Amino acid sequence: MRWSLGLRGRPGAGRGLRFRVMLSFALGGLLLSSGLAAVTYGLADRYLVSQRERNAQRQAFLNARALRDALRSPNASVSETLAALEVPTGSSVVVQRDGKWYGTSVALGRTSVPRVMQKVVSAGTGGHQRVQTSTGPAIVVGVPVPSIQADYFEIVGLSELENTLNVIRDSLLGAAALTTFAAALLGVWAGRRVVAPLRDVSAAASDIAAGEIDRRLETRNDPDLDPLVESFNHMVGALQVRMERDAQFASDVSHELRSPLTTMLTSADLLTARADELPPRLREPVALLSEEVHRFERLVSELLELSRAEAAVEPIELEPVNLGELLLHSLTLTNDQEFVVEIDPDVATTPVLTDKRRVNRILSNLLENARSHGRGIRAVTVSRADGYARFTVEDCGDGVPVEERQQIFERFFRGAAAGRRDDGSGTGLGLALVAEHARLLHGRVWVEDADGGARFVLELPETPA
Amino acid sequence: MGDHGVVKQSVLVVEDDARIRAVMRMSLEEEGYEVREAESGEAALRSFEARLPDIVLVDLMLPDMSGFEVCRSLRQNSGVPIVVVSARADTHDVVAGLEAGADDYVTKPFVAKELAARMRALLRRVGAGDVRESEYRFGDLEIEPDAGVVRRDGTEVALTKTEFRLLCELARHAGSVLSREQLLDRVWGYDYLGDGRLVDAHVRRLRTKIERDPSDPDLIMTIRGLGYRMTKP
Repeated sequence: MRWSLGLRGRPGAGRGLRFRVMLSFALGGLLLSSGLAAVTYGLADRYLVSQRERNAQRQAFLNARALRDALRSPNASVSETLAALEVPTGSSVVVQRDGKWYGTSVALGRTSVPRVMQKVVSAGTGGHQRVQTSTGPAIVVGVPVPSIQADYFEIVGLSELENTLNVIRDSLLGAAALTTFAAALLGVWAGRRVVAPLRDVSAAASDIAAGEIDRRLETRNDPDLDPLVESFNHMVGALQVRMERDAQFASDVSHELRSPLTTMLTSADLLTARADELPPRLREPVALLSEEVHRFERLVSELLELSRAEAAVEPIELEPVNLGELLLHSLTLTNDQEFVVEIDPDVATTPVLTDKRRVNRILSNLLENARSHGRGIRAVTVSRADGYARFTVEDCGDGVPVEERQQIFERFFRGAAAGRRDDGSGTGLGLALVAEHARLLHGRVWVEDADGGARFVLELPETPA
Repeated sequence: MGDHGVVKQSVLVVEDDARIRAVMRMSLEEEGYEVREAESGEAALRSFEARLPDIVLVDLMLPDMSGFEVCRSLRQNSGVPIVVVSARADTHDVVAGLEAGADDYVTKPFVAKELAARMRALLRRVGAGDVRESEYRFGDLEIEPDAGVVRRDGTEVALTKTEFRLLCELARHAGSVLSREQLLDRVWGYDYLGDGRLVDAHVRRLRTKIERDPSDPDLIMTIRGLGYRMTKP
């Protein structure tokens, strides 16, 4: 009956709460850090580019003025003047005068200046424009120099700026990835924190299911968690009250039924003991009455036994038990024909820690079942292996059909007439009791085929939890 | 047993349900007992004072006082065997009955034969037949099985018949461990599945009467998982 809230990462159980918390943190981290990175990059890009543009313009004006001053003297040649200009690496200067083009660089020549710009500048208006050249992005600044009938163009390469921006972008991406990873780690930690109280609840629930009904959760002085703790404790308290009321009811019913049954049983026994003094015509009804009263008594006792076992009213009383001896004891009550008894020598010498009465109840019911539903006992064995003690009871009947092998342990189950005979003495509760006691002892019981008959197997752990 | 026919043994049945009282009377008379009935605790105590029965059967649910109180009152000055007859077989009822001084318990609905067997076991003559020694000594504790007397430092200790039989059984096997099953068999006449709590409760009571320090006994030792052992003198 152990159960848990499934917080232990069952395989294939879907996405757990912890995973979802971690995912939320990671996604949050990713969005935030990538957003910040994008904004930072945009700002840096704009700032650096506009700064570069301003520099380029200033430099272009200075250079254009220097060119103008130099070319005022009639001997000066454009090429020489250009060569004397200070042009930073990555930039170049193109000058148009009298329809001729002069340049400081072959790579960044006239072709780098857009035609539209050439026209605009030769019409007397300065300006700048971003272009794509064969060596990468660049800014072209155009300055008309009317006093010497020249158009001055300066092409400022932006490759360096591009590199800087790339470095910034890469750093930002790296930082975003790191932040996301850190957020995911934080999420794992937070998830654990969130789930920890749920684990406590789960552990407490398991303990309670295992019978520790007095177990409660402690409040943590946490306004978010305390309602959970309180409602959990309230629920367990209500359950406990209910269980106690049920147990009390079973106990009351037991008392109410037992007193009249005592009267009936004792009277029936008195009648039976003196049956020979009765008129012969009354002997049969008296015998029937006595038989039915005894059966009724068994039925009531077994019903109560079952409800008490289900409510786990009686504690499990563990003591070292010699299972061989126990088996032989339960067999002393049988008066069957011959059958095989096999006791593993290991069982005969080593006692096992278990509840003697419950095991005895299981065995007597299995033997009774073989007798009244299986045409008698064929073989009984007890052995030990792998930490389990194992009893088997084989009968001479027709076996149990596969589809009934589960149901047969349910109360009042009557199988399809084919395989199961019923001599009318059973209560219909024997095997249900067997299953209930086996469960309380953390054992298993099942039925299988055995050469046509049925073999009931009881497996008990040697070290009960 | 051999007492049949000569002097009938008397049994006091304390039970408030008239029908159960009637069938118990009939079936006990059938077994050869002389039966007296009491329908309440008060009536039981009066009847007991008027004439001592050989054995008492007490129902736990009585109109005026509980069966436990009846047990305690009877125990104050008598070692008469008491069997609690109860519709309840809960652990705490059984233990409370034994603590109150009952020698054994039977749960309803009982089979008359089973009740008769329990009574026979309790009425068996103490140590009959199988006692070899006429006296045992354990330090200043003296036991005279035939006289049914136990003395501590020369002063007689009042034991119930069951306590006395239990002590004699332990004394007879002093030095060796007796399992609860063996004690149940020899003192109460139970088969393999007797209730071990009977033994434990009686050992506890016996210790309060004969041990110098019942919480740290030096005569009746508990051997965990095995049973009890009387320390050899």
